[in-house]
Amino acid sequence: ASDVSVLWLPLPRSLLTCRTAEPLEYHRSFLKENCRPDGRELTEFRTTTLNIGSISTADGSALVKLGNTTIICGIKAELANPTVEAPGKGYIVPNVDLPPLCSSRFRPGPPGEEAQAASQFIADVIESSEVIKTEDLSIDRGKLCWVLYCDLMCLDYDGNILDACVIALLAALKNTRLPEVTINKETSAPEVNLEKRWELQIHKHLVSASFCIFDDSILISDPTAEEETLSTAHLTVVTDEDDRLCSVHKPGGTSLSGERLQECISRATTRQREIQKLIAKVAHSVKKAQ
Amino acid sequence: MFSTVRERVGEVLLPGDEFSFEAEEKISLTAPVKSEKVVCGPGLRRCGDRLVVFKSGVLRHKEPNVFWIDSQQRRYVPAKGESIIGIVTAKSGDVFKVDFGGSEQASLSYLTFEGATKRNRPNVQVGDLVFAQFLIANKDMEPELVCIDSSGRANGMGVFGAGGLLFRVSLGLVRRLLAPHSDIRSDLEQLFPCELVVGMNGRIWVKSATVQQTLIIANLLQSAETMTAQQRQQLFRKVQQGAF
Amino acid sequence: MTPSACDKSAFSTMEVCGSLTVSLREFGCEQSLLSRPDGSASFVQGDTSVMAGVYGPAEVKVSKEIYDRATLEVLVQPKVGLPSVRERSQEQCVRETCEASLLLTLHPRSSLTLILQVLHDDGSLLSCCLNAACMALMDAGLPMSCLFCGVTCAISTDGQIITDPTAAQEKESRALMTFAIDSAKHSVLMSSTKGSFSVHEVSGLMTGKKECAPFQTNKTVNAKPKRPDVTNRLH
Repeated sequence: ASDVSVLWLPLPRSLLTCRTAEPLEYHRSFLKENCRPDGRELTEFRTTTLNIGSISTADGSALVKLGNTTIICGIKAELANPTVEAPGKGYIVPNVDLPPLCSSRFRPGPPGEEAQAASQFIADVIESSEVIKTEDLSIDRGKLCWVLYCDLMCLDYDGNILDACVIALLAALKNTRLPEVTINKETSAPEVNLEKRWELQIHKHLVSASFCIFDDSILISDPTAEEETLSTAHLTVVTDEDDRLCSVHKPGGTSLSGERLQECISRATTRQREIQKLIAKVAHSVKKAQ
Repeated sequence: MFSTVRERVGEVLLPGDEFSFEAEEKISLTAPVKSEKVVCGPGLRRCGDRLVVFKSGVLRHKEPNVFWIDSQQRRYVPAKGESIIGIVTAKSGDVFKVDFGGSEQASLSYLTFEGATKRNRPNVQVGDLVFAQFLIANKDMEPELVCIDSSGRANGMGVFGAGGLLFRVSLGLVRRLLAPHSDIRSDLEQLFPCELVVGMNGRIWVKSATVQQTLIIANLLQSAETMTAQQRQQLFRKVQQGAF
Repeated sequence: MTPSACDKSAFSTMEVCGSLTVSLREFGCEQSLLSRPDGSASFVQGDTSVMAGVYGPAEVKVSKEIYDRATLEVLVQPKVGLPSVRERSQEQCVRETCEASLLLTLHPRSSLTLILQVLHDDGSLLSCCLNAACMALMDAGLPMSCLFCGVTCAISTDGQIITDPTAAQEKESRALMTFAIDSAKHSVLMSSTKGSFSVHEVSGLMTGKKECAPFQTNKTVNAKPKRPDVTNRLH
């Protein structure tokens, strides 16, 4: 008898509506009780797991799991000529790939709108947060610099890829070791010393937090793919450790009042603390193992 | 509520403007009690206890209680009972597919012509123009046209004869042309004798004695859209003097 | 379009804003200036100029058909070159804003196409795109639950807020934010930011925005029943 009561407590009316036939009704019946179909509270994030340095051939890498959503980030450093506008700076080229593997909604071929919008978002966040000072990537002013290709690949799409991408990117950048480059004075050719590597300095620990608005009023954090398609608006807030906002990205959808936005921002700052702690912990354990 | 809406008749309203039903009204003891129901025409809709505008345009009123928004539009959205000029694009089995300028093609059964039977099929070819009215027109179903009225008569509908010119104007102009006592129509009547078929979908077909006259009428109608009554009459007079 | 119609609609609605607290550049709008699309508009903010055209509700490709609402496609064409990743992200912002204000369920299984052609970019491009899009949708007579407007603010290095910045002001600024605000509730439909800023700065903008009602002007020009210019001012 006790088993039955346990079963019924979190599922009050939801058993009456069918998930496949009426997904929106199904979700509503849960949200009415301030919980979600996967047992989370409204502002709870899914379990985040992080693996740093998973790809040995890359200069830096990280694998992030946010519930089922899986993003792997590999960083490849190449030598390049700096741009004319910024001779004393290197540059970072992020790219988000959503292959058909990760979800049935993506087709093979050139990147779709969602992938391109995500790439642009990551690029904007890197630029506005200055997570890495691009001056650090300069080797020889006006002649040689590092370019970091950050490839973010989604392996399993279950919503909220932006959060996962930002965590993966930050962790991978923290893991990046660049070889030392000296310039031969006689031939003026660069010489790469693969033995001696240096760590990239992370200036800002940026973390993003995504939210969805259900039925124009209910705010939920860290949406799954199903929740994303059923909701009426999305919002992503990126903050750093000094509680400065790097991005408040809301690409349309239903309107949001200032108070709700404040709520999201304060949730995002606590999320920032959690993730920064997680990254530090994993980075520490990786170092210990080496 | 009724009076608040009525006060704004003739004003330009924008999407998002709303009227609330709550407004208390004085009940007159002498006047007969009228029903407070408001009938929403195009551009207005009910949202809970409010009346919301969802198209931009001028608020219009028709006694006793019909309100609608008179808006400018170019793309036609079918409505039941409206007559349109369509182009037959395909014959498939028992039905013709008719393009009327909307989001999908309408179907027109060969049996819905006057006097048509299973044996006696109407002579309709791909590319022909038809004047027909909507029997079914709603957002969830394929629109269906018929070329007979409810008593089985053609009533002016059917396939067009040879000659004539088809052109497109805005839906606003079409509505003005079809309005009772339309001043554009009466101005035009004084100009040349002509045959004029006006479809609610913004298509107009004209035929008159010579090709030149047909072209003049077509050009006049297309330019009449953005003119004031004065300008139009001036232009019509000029044409008349030039023609005779 | 006949020549006579062109004469009449030539920027007859240019508005000059001379407020001291909020400085918006001169802006203007013209509707139904193209003959082929079902709705068109051009919007000018200072030297930034965007032309918009809407087609629809039209037939939809089977692969893009949605059974209970219309499919909205937004294309942003840059002044030179081919659309790139930047335009894709702008398209996403404009599309989702339009989706929120349009009543797409009234035209199921049809397609709406909105094309935004950038004529000149002198800052505040995204907000100009949003304004042009709204005007074009209105001109097409599509069912909308509310209107919206776009506004861009820059925070300069000394913490001052500049509304409707030029390209030069944008470049010097520390942070740049674009909001879309709806006309019914005056709340935020879209937000897109660049650069870092504090919580206070953004909340100041949000609350400030609420205090000011949208500034709307309706102009009736000849037979055209509507010619409104809509903008929100930020204090």
